[in-house]
Amino acid sequence: MTESLLAVRGLSKHFVSGNEPVPVIEKLSFTLGQGQSLALTGRSGSGKSTLLNLLCGLELADTGTIVMHGQVFEAGGTAVLRTAKAWSALRRQHIGVVFQDANLMPALSLLENVRFRAQLAGRDPANSEDWLTRLDIGELAHRYPDQVSGGQRQRAALAMVFAMEPALILADEPTGSLDRHTSDDVTRVLFDLQARHGCGLILATHDSELAAGCQQHLDLGHLNAI
Amino acid sequence: MKGLPSLFPPTFHTFFLPGGLLSHYRRHPLQLLALAAMIVIATMLWTGVNHLTSQARASLNQSEQAVAERQQVVRNDGRALAIDDFVALRLAGVCVMPWLEVTPETGSRLVGIDPLAAHCFGAGTGASQALDQPLDGKPFVDVYAAAGVSARESRLYLLTPEATQATDLPGGYSLKTFATSPDTGELGDSFLLNLEALGVLVLLITALLLRAVYLLGLAQRRASFVLLHRFGVSPEQVQRWLVLEILVLALVCVVPGVWLGRWLAAGLGGGFGQALDGLFDIPLYAGQGHGWITPVLVMLAVVVLACLGDLILLRFRGRLSLPVPVRAGLATALLVAGLVLAWLGPSLAWVFGAVALVFAGAGWLTPAAVAHLAYWCADRSQVPLARWRYRELAVLARQLTLPLVALQFALAMVLSVQALVTTFEDTFDRWLGQRLEAAYYIEVPAGADGRKAAEWLTSQQASIPGLQWHRVVRGQAQLANAGSLQVDVFAVSPVGSLMRAWALVEAADQPWETLASGEGGMINEQLARRQRLEVGDSLQLIVGDQPQAFSVLGVYPDYGRPVGEVLLNAETLPETFNIRFESISVSPGEPGIAPVTDALQRIWGVNALTVRDNGTIRELATGVFDQTFALTRAMTLLTLILAASALLMMGWVFFSTRAWYFRLLVVWGMSQREVADQLQRLALLLTGGIAVLALPLGIWLTWVLVHRINPLAFGWSLPMAVYPAFWLELCILSLAIGLSIAALMRRQLGSPAVAPASASALTGDER
Amino acid sequence: MNRRMGLLLGLLLFAGCSGDTGDEGFAGLAGLEQGAVSDTLYLQPGPGVRLSFPADFGPHPQHRIEWWYLTANLETAVGEPLGLQWTQFRQALEPRAASEPAPAATDWPLQAAWMAHGAVSWKGQHYFAEKLARGDMGSAGATAVPFKVWLDNWQLRGNADNDRWHLQAAGDGWSYDLTLSIEGAPVAHGEEGFSAKSASGEGSMYFSLVDIAITGEVTLDGEVLVVRGKGWFDREWSSQLLKTGQKGWDWFALHLDSGDKLMAFRLRDDSGSFLSGTWLPAEGDPVRLSSEELSLKELERRKDVPVRWQLSIPAYQVELQLNAPPGDYLNRGLYPYWESPVNVSGSHSGEGYMELTGYRTQ
Repeated sequence: MTESLLAVRGLSKHFVSGNEPVPVIEKLSFTLGQGQSLALTGRSGSGKSTLLNLLCGLELADTGTIVMHGQVFEAGGTAVLRTAKAWSALRRQHIGVVFQDANLMPALSLLENVRFRAQLAGRDPANSEDWLTRLDIGELAHRYPDQVSGGQRQRAALAMVFAMEPALILADEPTGSLDRHTSDDVTRVLFDLQARHGCGLILATHDSELAAGCQQHLDLGHLNAI
Repeated sequence: MKGLPSLFPPTFHTFFLPGGLLSHYRRHPLQLLALAAMIVIATMLWTGVNHLTSQARASLNQSEQAVAERQQVVRNDGRALAIDDFVALRLAGVCVMPWLEVTPETGSRLVGIDPLAAHCFGAGTGASQALDQPLDGKPFVDVYAAAGVSARESRLYLLTPEATQATDLPGGYSLKTFATSPDTGELGDSFLLNLEALGVLVLLITALLLRAVYLLGLAQRRASFVLLHRFGVSPEQVQRWLVLEILVLALVCVVPGVWLGRWLAAGLGGGFGQALDGLFDIPLYAGQGHGWITPVLVMLAVVVLACLGDLILLRFRGRLSLPVPVRAGLATALLVAGLVLAWLGPSLAWVFGAVALVFAGAGWLTPAAVAHLAYWCADRSQVPLARWRYRELAVLARQLTLPLVALQFALAMVLSVQALVTTFEDTFDRWLGQRLEAAYYIEVPAGADGRKAAEWLTSQQASIPGLQWHRVVRGQAQLANAGSLQVDVFAVSPVGSLMRAWALVEAADQPWETLASGEGGMINEQLARRQRLEVGDSLQLIVGDQPQAFSVLGVYPDYGRPVGEVLLNAETLPETFNIRFESISVSPGEPGIAPVTDALQRIWGVNALTVRDNGTIRELATGVFDQTFALTRAMTLLTLILAASALLMMGWVFFSTRAWYFRLLVVWGMSQREVADQLQRLALLLTGGIAVLALPLGIWLTWVLVHRINPLAFGWSLPMAVYPAFWLELCILSLAIGLSIAALMRRQLGSPAVAPASASALTGDER
Repeated sequence: MNRRMGLLLGLLLFAGCSGDTGDEGFAGLAGLEQGAVSDTLYLQPGPGVRLSFPADFGPHPQHRIEWWYLTANLETAVGEPLGLQWTQFRQALEPRAASEPAPAATDWPLQAAWMAHGAVSWKGQHYFAEKLARGDMGSAGATAVPFKVWLDNWQLRGNADNDRWHLQAAGDGWSYDLTLSIEGAPVAHGEEGFSAKSASGEGSMYFSLVDIAITGEVTLDGEVLVVRGKGWFDREWSSQLLKTGQKGWDWFALHLDSGDKLMAFRLRDDSGSFLSGTWLPAEGDPVRLSSEELSLKELERRKDVPVRWQLSIPAYQVELQLNAPPGDYLNRGLYPYWESPVNVSGSHSGEGYMELTGYRTQ
């Protein structure tokens, strides 16, 4: 058993619709080891994105505990500000987030985006161009996000994430807006790099084929099953 | 095809299309409200400014007319007029109105007039307008009441209309001008011309703002249009409906806007008329200005042009979309051409055209320049966040072009209005100082000798501490330099301390001392300009048939007096000089004016004197202009507020569309506070930059108004002053707008953002 | 003081909004100030008051309002008809007993306002001017002996015998200078000079000179016209002419070719009207005409003003049609009213003058 990167215990989150609390995630527990990958599946609205938000501190859970990269986050704690700061620091340095699209600042070129992210994480931006090349978009480095295709944008987003040398990548339908061919292409690169750099990956997806590429599988449709 | 039913029956377009178009507003009523509010406010503002300007112009025109129409009938033997003279003149068919000036034992001066006698002045003239006002109000009363007052001093004047000719008068009488207060005609005209020019600018600003809000609305409705297009509605049909929609909206909003504008102007302008009444001694009814038709039509046209200009120019679109460098080059060319033209333009039309060019150029260039500058800074910045901020600034500058330009124009306008108003205030002050240099002004009665008075005053010099005086003689002379040009002669003696307060445009060394010694003369600005005379030139004057040469010691400002004038030492005038008018200016010092007038009455052997209390006149005049200036400032500030709110609104909308990316910074590990700080810096950079760019435009506009338009229109120039403290105020105001935008954004950051759906305009993906 | 100024202003301000003044003729002024200054201070004419000559040619300062009124039907040397009017009104702002001396001019007194109207009607053109002055100053007034009525340079003055008058007036683009030969004695209207203006007893003292031969010159836009013809001169004074509710009047003075003459007027109010007149046969004494003996009918209006009338006096087989010539004869002064010559046809032919007040004319 490798050392645990992430441990989730009894995590719950509900939203309020009208006056009724609607549970989205109930008593969820799982762990993810260093360099491991986990597929999150489930129909729309089953809470995939919410869980990803909870795992990077963009939203706070109602109950439960998250142990991430050695830091313990207890839900319902009073030190909200300190918690937010701790999450910010984690996101800045150790958690890479990839959305379906719009992961790049539109006013910056692909290269500038990668450098920006790397510098924020405190990494050496000198490798940024290298990362783009490794993702086969080196010649597009000085283009702007709206000047390249969706697949190329997602590759740039991956370059950006890997350039920050993350401990964990949270990917929310990263290929959801791409065609099959491009999607496969991007997915291959993602798994490849994840494996090579030994970072954790949590991938929210509809795509069962994609999910099959992960070592673990969490179906939010079947509550809390692991 | 006959048998096939059309996919959409004709009723589809008639019912579905407007419904489809309007459904957007049903879902986003605030957008419709914003557009409507913008039209209403813009209309109100412009109507207000326009109304006020035309009202002020009407009032000034009336006052000028009233002053111009004042002439009086006097006895040739120099004796004071009595009721018998009134009766004799009336029986002879001469239209005269009594003007009985009474200084009561206690209380202020009264003027008694006879409204019945004034009937012959005819409708629409100053005198008959007096009758439309309550006569019990000061200073007018019925002559019966004035005659009944126990008076310290009382004097009857007989005013007659301008139309009265000397030949209409029976023997023993002649005509003379009658003035109780200074004629501010030219100065007022100049101010109003400038005000009107600024009114046009307000119109331009409101048009820009309207366009901004409308285009924003269109962008937000793009999805609806796409949907309609999919349903088979042609773009032409959509456009037709859009035209109809904006026309209806304009009509619905312009009318209350005009009403509000008139209400605003009436509320603010009420006092203006009153103040004018005070100044000119005649109640002047401030004209109603334009009716309803003009502002409604103008604003409709502005709304339609501002909103649908693109549709109208649609067919030229190919030619309009120029590559960026060409556009920048064109804008620069416009700007440069405008600047050159404003400098060298030979006539008012050219200069106004130049102003239009400069504004067009500046408006076109400014956002592009800001964007360019931002790029330049970004490329030189090593800090990634700074680079990002500059890049965002460039996007902002391009996306908010219209409201930014409007804000820039508004700031420039406020700046120039402030400078103009302050300059005018200052000028009025000095002009009054020149006209009313002494505390009192005593007319030398016909037949009396002003020199006797001078002798007496000289003898009193030692015994009355603080006595300052000089004798003023007016007449005419020919300027031989300029083909016997007739010039007015304004001669004083002694050239004492009263004169030395005059501000001179240009002067030789120790001009007053030289003039006092009887050497040389001074000329007014008008004469200097027209005849291209300078200090040190020699004047060949024919004064009272005798040729005399004077060297020009100085040029004094005349603030709009259209006639060339020469200021001489009265001692140098020959005996043959024909004195047209003579008076004594006196600041009597401690003992007051009474001993002086008593003595002069004794010396001249007359019962009454025409004495003008300059302090009162100065007070009245100052009151009028203070109010007008305050109004002008209020109006321009309103424009600025409108521009600021528009920018605020647009900025808010724009920032909302971009919220996803700002939240991305949070995802990337920045705290909300850090991101909010970044946004604040961004907004401050934007509005601060606009303020800085507005400064040169505003200063330039002031320069054009003061140094180009005024001399071209009126032949005289105002001194131009700069007010850096006010610039600072404007910059702070602009920064405050930026802070407000940032504050709004800070609220938005807290809520989750929606990922932008597509890369079309105004959805947040702009770069 | 304030009250009097108020009235004066009222008088002047009415001019400013002439749209409303059509309802109220200048004689309505007599009612305007009711109750302001005690009515008892003004003399009110009534049955039993007698005329007195020559004093009644002069002013009546104890009465509120009075006028000297000349209308003339003239013709030019080539026989074109020319109508002419001269009127001078006195409106008291404060009554003054006959025994009381006039106030001193040096006080610019405000006891009376004078108004003069002059008009010339020729070839469909109507020239009109109005003059105003305060009384007791010397620039406007009237005296009985020698007979003189003047306002500024408009003057009517009689000779020592008061049978030859000289009249001068001038306005914008017009002037006249006329000699009037007065023939015949004054004709007293109503009850020996008291002319009732309503059934309830309001009325005025009223007499006329109906036989006046006129010669002279009328200058219109620089063209001098030598004119001659006949005139009709009215003197009337009262303190309350119109009763409350009366809206105006229609007045006619006619010279018939038969040598007969006729004065008739009608006062209109909401409920009906009050008619009165005087029939002046060529031979014999004037006859009072009562409301029942007269009938007056509008036949046609021109812009709200009745310009064609039918006037009948069945007892004298008089059945007249009165026609104003084409044109607009509105005197647009402080109180607009209509003053035009008329042609007479029907049972008699002739000419005369018509005055209509209180029509909504603008």
